[in-house]
Amino acid sequence: MDLNFSVLLRFQDALLLGLWMTIKLTLICMVLGCTLGFLVGLARTSRNVFVRGLSSVYVEFFRGTPVLIQLFWIFFCLPLLLGVELSNLTSGVIALTLYMGAITSETFRASLKSVGPEQLDACVALGLPKRVQVTSVVLPQAVLRAIPTLLSNCVSLFKESALVSAVGMADLMFVGQNISNNTARPVEALTIVALIYFAIAFPLTRAVSIIEARILKKLAI
Amino acid sequence: MTMPFSPPLVRMQNLHKSYGPEIQVLKGLDIEMKPGERVVVIGPSGGGKSTLLRVMMGLEKIDSGSITFGGKPYISSEGVGRKTVIDTEVRRSIGMVFQHYTLFPHLNVVQNLILAPCKVRGERKAEATERAIALLSRFGLGAKAKAFPAQLSGGQKQRVAIARALMLDPKLMLFDEVTSALDPELVAEVEQVILQLANQNMPMMIVTHDMWFARNIASRVIFCAGGVVVEDGPPEQVLGSPKEERTKDFIERVFHIRQ
Repeated sequence: MDLNFSVLLRFQDALLLGLWMTIKLTLICMVLGCTLGFLVGLARTSRNVFVRGLSSVYVEFFRGTPVLIQLFWIFFCLPLLLGVELSNLTSGVIALTLYMGAITSETFRASLKSVGPEQLDACVALGLPKRVQVTSVVLPQAVLRAIPTLLSNCVSLFKESALVSAVGMADLMFVGQNISNNTARPVEALTIVALIYFAIAFPLTRAVSIIEARILKKLAI
Repeated sequence: MTMPFSPPLVRMQNLHKSYGPEIQVLKGLDIEMKPGERVVVIGPSGGGKSTLLRVMMGLEKIDSGSITFGGKPYISSEGVGRKTVIDTEVRRSIGMVFQHYTLFPHLNVVQNLILAPCKVRGERKAEATERAIALLSRFGLGAKAKAFPAQLSGGQKQRVAIARALMLDPKLMLFDEVTSALDPELVAEVEQVILQLANQNMPMMIVTHDMWFARNIASRVIFCAGGVVVEDGPPEQVLGSPKEERTKDFIERVFHIRQ
C-alpha cells in the first residue's frame, strides 16, 4: 500500500474552513451548554419536586441516548413538531448544546455537592445571610471545583462535534470525508483529520491536568 | 472575683434533642452561665457535648426547651418535629470555632476574616482589613495575611478561624474540640491564643478532651454524659476530686490513658 499525503495539500483551505466551523460550533455550544448545564445543575438541587423531576428527565434522557440519534432527531423531527425549517447550523447548535447541557449539569451538581456541610456551619456561625452563603461561599468553590471537569467536557464536545457532519454540516469531519471521497484516499484524508483533532485536543487535556492540580492544591483544606 | 447576683449570660432550660426516635442526645439539659465564666464541658463521646455547642450556635434544631442569652429569648422550640425558633440577631453575638477549621478555602486569610464584617455589618473593606491585620498580628499571623488556607499548618488555620470569629466582636465564644484534629506539637499555639482571650475575660464554652487544657482554662467544669449534666463545679472539684461515680470513672480512665 502506498501512502501519498501530498495530494491533500491542495485541500488545505477546505480543511482550514472545516476546522474553523468545528471550532466555532464547539465554542458556541460550550458557552450555551455550560450556561444551560449550570442552570440545570441548580434545578436538580431545587426543593421543588416538579423542577427537580423535569431537569432529571432531561439529563437522564440526553445522557442515556447516543448523540447521533439526538442530532438526527432534532434535525428531522423538531422541524415537523415546530413547523419551521431549521438550518444545519441551528440544529447542530441545538443538539450539541442540549448534549453539553446534560453533561455539564452533572459536573456542576457534583461540584455543588462537594462543598461540605461544615462550610455552611461556618457560614451560619458567622451570621452570613443565605444570599451571601450562596454567592460568596458555595458558588465560587463549586465553580472552581467544576473547572477541570468542565474543560474535559469541552474537549469531549470538540470531538463529538464531528457527528454534525452526518447532517451535512461542513465541519472538519465533513471536509475530511469529502476529500476522502474525491481523492479515493481515505486513509490519508482521515489520518490528517484525526491529527488535526488530536493537535487541538491533546494540549487541552494536558492543560486540564495542570489546572486541576493547581485548583486541588488551592482548595485542599 | 465573682458577682453572686449578676444575671446569667446564658440560660438553657430543659433542652431535649434527638436524632430520630431511637437516639436521644440531650435529655433535659439545664445549664446557666454567668458573664465572664469559662465553662469547659467534658464527657464521653456521644454524651451530647458537641450537640450542646451546636444547639447553642443555632446549628441544630431542638425538640423542646429554650435558651436565653443576655436575658433575651434566643432559642425555643414549638415541639418535636416542629419549628425551632432562633433569634438571628442574638445569634450574631455568639462566635464558634470548629474541630475542622472550616476556613473558606477559596479566600485568603484576610478575605476569610473580613467577609462577615463586610457582608453582615456593612463595614468598609479598608476598615475591616485594618482590624483583620491588627488581630492577625496579635495572634502571630501577621505574615500570613495573604496566604490561602491550604498554605497554612493546622495550628495556623485554627488561629485564623479564631480570629475570624473574633472579627464580629462576639459576647460568647464556643470552641468545639478545636485541638482534636491537630498534630500534638501544634496544640499549644492554639491553646495559647484561647488563654489570651481568657485573660481578657471573654466568656467561653469549650468542649475538649485535653484535661490539662481544661484545668488551665476553666473557671467551671461540666461533666456531661447520657445527655444530662452529671456534675458541675469548679475545675479542682470536677477534675480533682469528683463527687459523682460516673465522673470519677471517666476522669480515672482519661488520666490513666494519658500516663
